[in-house]
Amino acid sequence: MSCKGCSQSVFVSNEYIQKQVEEQLELETNIVDDKVYEKRLTQCKECPSLLYDTTCAHCGCFVLFRAKLAYKTCPYPAGAKW
Amino acid sequence: MKKNQVIINADIEKGTINKNIYGHFAEHLGRGIYEGLWVGEESPIPNTNGIRNDVLEALKKLDIPVLRWPGGCFADEYHWKDGIGPRENRKRMVNTHWGGVVENNHFGTHEFFMLCEMLGAEPYISGNVGSGSVQEMSEWVEYMTFDGESPMANWRKENGKEKPWKLKYFGVGNENWGCGGNMTPEYYADLYRRYQTYVRNYGDNKIYRIAGGPNVDDYNWTEVLMKKAANLMDGLSVHYYVHPGGFENKGQAVDFSEAEWDVTMQKTMYMDELITRHGTIMDKYDPDKRIGMIVDEWGAWYDVEPGTNPGFLYQQNTIRDAVVAGAHFNIFHQHNDRVQMANIAQMVNVIQAMILTESDKMILTPTYHVFEMFKVHQDAQRVSLHLNIDTVKENGYSYPQVTASASKAKDGTLNISLCNLDKAVSTTLDIDLRGLEFSNVTGRILTSGEMNAKNTFENPDHVKPQAFKGFAREGSSLKVELPSKSVVVLTVR
Repeated sequence: MSCKGCSQSVFVSNEYIQKQVEEQLELETNIVDDKVYEKRLTQCKECPSLLYDTTCAHCGCFVLFRAKLAYKTCPYPAGAKW
Repeated sequence: MKKNQVIINADIEKGTINKNIYGHFAEHLGRGIYEGLWVGEESPIPNTNGIRNDVLEALKKLDIPVLRWPGGCFADEYHWKDGIGPRENRKRMVNTHWGGVVENNHFGTHEFFMLCEMLGAEPYISGNVGSGSVQEMSEWVEYMTFDGESPMANWRKENGKEKPWKLKYFGVGNENWGCGGNMTPEYYADLYRRYQTYVRNYGDNKIYRIAGGPNVDDYNWTEVLMKKAANLMDGLSVHYYVHPGGFENKGQAVDFSEAEWDVTMQKTMYMDELITRHGTIMDKYDPDKRIGMIVDEWGAWYDVEPGTNPGFLYQQNTIRDAVVAGAHFNIFHQHNDRVQMANIAQMVNVIQAMILTESDKMILTPTYHVFEMFKVHQDAQRVSLHLNIDTVKENGYSYPQVTASASKAKDGTLNISLCNLDKAVSTTLDIDLRGLEFSNVTGRILTSGEMNAKNTFENPDHVKPQAFKGFAREGSSLKVELPSKSVVVLTVR
């Protein structure tokens, strides 16, 4: 058995994330429209809490995924940005 | 409805259940330390000296006896000198084990000891054998525990800590068969002998030295370590995780099948075999059981939550995990003569966590509630217990329907912990209570109608303990109606 340190990386390809998002969004019904999605992502991209250009430091989510969900808010501790 | 039997001889004591079996593990990975415990003094999240208050208050209720830090795999590339002194000057480093995360070292030795003091927990430091030097390890111990004039003690004083800390538990490396150096047991045994030599006892601070142990069922590792270094160790670590689908595709934490429930329970019970067989080897070299078996990483480990970064090891936690935790504790209790510590992996936001956070929100997991319910066993006297229990055979897997253990607290109170591992079938349990006069029985239960019930930020109290009334006294016996997928603690006075 491998040890946990050898198993996963925090750096993942855009293809991986896109596939994850597409698969998961097939199960989601409560999603935002493209305009809201793009606006949210713009704010994420400017946020100091965005890690590796993919991941929110406060929830561990890929922002490409979380920003699609209508029932989620931005978890920035000093105040939600969306 | 099946029927099972438990016989408890409350007047036959089998030794102390070391409270350290209820230990925890916090590693620098994902949001375990940063975000989960440490938010920094400037954070808008309410905190005490940088430790978030909500998590701290919840953890205090668990009476955590010991906390292992900074890893895990992280320990063998952690250089402690990077994590002391003014935070703004601390070195930013790359945590290569966890994919190149930038580590700002804001949570270091001083912050760790502060957290332990806040929790009332004994610190357990994992030292760096894999990429560190003997000198570095030796100086860390000097920094932490030397009282008087010395280079490291003086440095500690300059950093604001005049008196040394008390440090009892020190691990000489971690998973040295893997992320801690990819060593053979022979090579690590030699290194262990060398490194531990310089883990000094300063003043009256006596260190309990823990050697890096085997990977799951690598019995040869235990044999070699015990043969070559038993006289130089106080504890030997054992790590074992429950992966329903195996290491590569572990399975989902929430959307799992009935067959995955069954394999999870079967793999949980494997812990008993591991302790027995590693213990048998230890008995050969240490028949008096001086050396403790330290299960310093355990828990159910699944694929990460969909949509989250896989390197963060963030998973949800259901009633299945509560049963897994309860069953592990019953196993640890039954091996209280050898198992002297166990540390759940991990404390917050990582693998089988007590607590999940999202920004300023926090939820307690079903596993948290088991730790809280079972804390009555800490440092209590295990009493004799015999089980006559049905075996669940489903989907090609098998496991006992019920596991149990019992202990007597200092005030004479008897606590009986029961787990029904069956996902669907309740049972009537006859508990024959011998050797005890009693007048009062109370109980608490953690259960759910759904096998994947969980707490969420939207519904944080979906799974929580309730008062348990499902029992009746018949003379010296108790007849207990134990629902499927449940964890119960009965208190008998």
